[in-house]
Amino acid sequence: MFRNAPRASGYFRTGYAQDLALIQTRLEGAALAALALVLALFPFFAGAFYLDLACQAFLAAIGALSLMLLTGYAGQISLGHAGLLAAGAFTVGILVREVRAPFWLTLPAAVLVGAVLGVIFGLPSLRLRGLYLAVSTLALYFVVAYLGGEYESRRGFSTGIMIDAPSIGGFALKNARGWYFVLLAAAAATSLICANLLRSRTGRAWRAIRAHETVAEALGIGIASYKLLAFVISSALASLAGALFAYYRGFVSVEAFSLFLSIQYVAMIIIGGMGSLLGALLGALFVTLLPYLIEALLMRLPHAQSYAGSLFAIDYSAFGVVMILFLVFEPLGLVGIWRRLQNYFLLWPFKYRPVAGTRR
Amino acid sequence: MQLIVNIVVLAAIYALIACGYVLIYRVSRVLNLAHGELMMLGAYLLLTTASAFSGNAFVAIAVAIVLSLLVGVLIYVFLMRKMAGEMVLAAVLTTVALGILLQGLMILIWSAQQQYPGQALALANPALLLPGGGRISLFAALIVVAAALSYGGLFLFLQFGRWGVRMRAAGQNPLLAAQRGINLHAVYALAWGLSTLTGSLAGMLIALDSGLTSSMAVIGLKAFPAALVGGLDSLLGALFGALIVGAAEVLSIQYIDPLLSDVVPFLVLIAALVVRPWGLLGTREELDRV
Amino acid sequence: MNEAPLLRVDKLEVVYHRTITAVQGISLAAEAGQIVAVLGTNGAGKSTTLRAISGFLGIDDARVTDGSVTFKARRIENRPPNEIARLGVVLVPERDKVFPNLTVAENLAAPFAPSARGRSASEEFVYGAFPRLADLRRRTAGLLSGGERQMLALGSALVCRPELLLVDELSLGLAPAIVEELMARLVQIRRDLGLTIVLVEQNAAAALAVADYGYVLENGRCVLDGDSARLRAHGDIQEFYLGQSQGGARASYRAVKQYRRSRRWYG
Repeated sequence: MFRNAPRASGYFRTGYAQDLALIQTRLEGAALAALALVLALFPFFAGAFYLDLACQAFLAAIGALSLMLLTGYAGQISLGHAGLLAAGAFTVGILVREVRAPFWLTLPAAVLVGAVLGVIFGLPSLRLRGLYLAVSTLALYFVVAYLGGEYESRRGFSTGIMIDAPSIGGFALKNARGWYFVLLAAAAATSLICANLLRSRTGRAWRAIRAHETVAEALGIGIASYKLLAFVISSALASLAGALFAYYRGFVSVEAFSLFLSIQYVAMIIIGGMGSLLGALLGALFVTLLPYLIEALLMRLPHAQSYAGSLFAIDYSAFGVVMILFLVFEPLGLVGIWRRLQNYFLLWPFKYRPVAGTRR
Repeated sequence: MQLIVNIVVLAAIYALIACGYVLIYRVSRVLNLAHGELMMLGAYLLLTTASAFSGNAFVAIAVAIVLSLLVGVLIYVFLMRKMAGEMVLAAVLTTVALGILLQGLMILIWSAQQQYPGQALALANPALLLPGGGRISLFAALIVVAAALSYGGLFLFLQFGRWGVRMRAAGQNPLLAAQRGINLHAVYALAWGLSTLTGSLAGMLIALDSGLTSSMAVIGLKAFPAALVGGLDSLLGALFGALIVGAAEVLSIQYIDPLLSDVVPFLVLIAALVVRPWGLLGTREELDRV
Repeated sequence: MNEAPLLRVDKLEVVYHRTITAVQGISLAAEAGQIVAVLGTNGAGKSTTLRAISGFLGIDDARVTDGSVTFKARRIENRPPNEIARLGVVLVPERDKVFPNLTVAENLAAPFAPSARGRSASEEFVYGAFPRLADLRRRTAGLLSGGERQMLALGSALVCRPELLLVDELSLGLAPAIVEELMARLVQIRRDLGLTIVLVEQNAAAALAVADYGYVLENGRCVLDGDSARLRAHGDIQEFYLGQSQGGARASYRAVKQYRRSRRWYG
């Protein structure tokens, strides 16, 4: 993930395998191991509130990673991500309520539905780019939201669909710690899938398409199939996230998948930093924690109680402000800040990285 | 007959909102996705001026209109100007974020309750009888008039006004316009001001007709397909687009399913993107500009 | 002449996208009333120099990173183009030189003019200098022929009442007869309006025919300068820019293509 970071002397790559390796330095390996340790021990020291927060962050991470693949790497703008999350959630909801399907059927079904929907969302990308593509994904989101609402009202679930917790044999997954580990595994698996995709031919093709589509085509990269592939994989992962979300909350309703949710995911990859998996993770964490940080901050102010009613509006406004601040002042996101920090220490007393391999 | 009246009214609403999208896009290639929220802001501004000038409806409306022009200009000067050299997509995402910020602020300042500026101004909204048997409320009729006047005014301004010609020039070739001494920031600020003005006018009239709810921003978003179907850089196209989308919506509510009203404009949008992405009267080269 | 030149470019360095140096250490000067030719092949940095003088927009992602551009004793580098135009330095660009969907009359109405009276006087002057444009007043600019478009581009620049006119590749894509006519008009305009003109040209013969002074650029550097008589007589200019070989003998292809060819830039 820090592939192009300047390295202190002593780290040389002498073969392709080394070049492609996920963990390239001993420091990276150590940092990853430390992180794994912290994540594994966390639930034994944290209360239910923080466990729930972590689970929300893991779910958001899966969605953010999938969007990062599509927009940050393949360069296909999508404003309809909430539609794909909704598709996964509704697949689970419908299958559970209509045919009482178990989770080991509903989850793959959700992924399949996501993939099919990905083809539909991806078709416009064969003709459109940039703004027009974004608008088409927006329109498709509204169609998905309408369909979800139609199902709810026609089947009488006007307040939403209740789902039982997933279970194997008689053992149902209900406690917070169990969910933590399940979602942690899901997020880790997704990260691994994304990292592997990116270091494969597919990832290189996506980067080429994002950088300059015409040149990529001239180099023999099949633009149409790789674009569709990006949409399909991204949508399948997003649907999975939606399905897991449905089981975690035990509840599916179309209001939870609003346009604002789509924007939140876009914000995650912008705030995190486009074109970086670490950015997706950081962005997901940031956007998930933001409302809680604001609430904690507000509670410290005098007359705290008077703000309680308008907390939702304050969250909204704060989100808008943060997104604007990042777009105007730090378009490279948190990862950009991190890289600048890295460069400062690793390159000192020099100031600039060499041009080749510069990722801006 | 009533069906035709409904179509004309809805088309007028969409047209009045759509010209805001077209103005900004044509001049600066930016899609202002906060337009719906700005429309709502206009209605809320009217609410405030209504209580400030509770006796005099005309003054309240006039002041609200001027304020909304100012708001548009200030938004450009303090926010959008900073995105002027960047990628268009970043600017569009900035407008999205702005929209979210405005929504939050509006709830904080005015609360999310339904409001009735018409009542605050003691303005009645009687239903007028039309020849042929249709009924139209007074303010709905005023919306149609306002749309016609706005389009007429904009056509004349863009065609014959000095700043209108400059706006068209800056939209075609910003570099050359700058090299000919045209201050691009001034042109863009003017576009934002006019766009917010027309949008706010729509918001105010809708609020006077049927009340101010927090879902008004959705109407703003539904008007966007009208702008795109006609061609994002064509005012005349926006008129046609509004008619098409308005007719599609009213007819499908009437004959297919009332619940479709929120999704029909986007179905029309998808159809347009499939068949003719640059719209009826838009310039074709727009497609490749990201 | 003891007074400072109207335009002085001093060791100019221009960087695109923060990584590509297009122009390195170019210096040139234009005295008031002169026509200065800037010659060179493709990619020599001529257009970049003119753009640096007339100003970059944000989207260009270009900056003057070293050196200075001084106009009438005032530093103008890295200022926005509309400010520089209002100071009296106007560029006629190489590409996209008119507003294609506006009519000829609108193209002349859109630019900034210092005063209303000045504007109508300028428009009259333009229609007088280019009578063809008067017939095409209502024609959409995108439909004009190459020569007519160039006339319109020059005309719209003159509406701004510049003191210094920068012209980028006047002759590109135009028939020789039209190039000759436009160059003659340029000289006439210089005389009538007291303009100073900097002319960037690939067509060295046409440019040197009207210029008083010339600079030759190669690979972002200035390699030769002198008054036009000296340049026309210079062996290397004759060989590489005017197509005349030494002694009238037919140049062998091998001799031209061989790496070792003598350059007499500094002679």
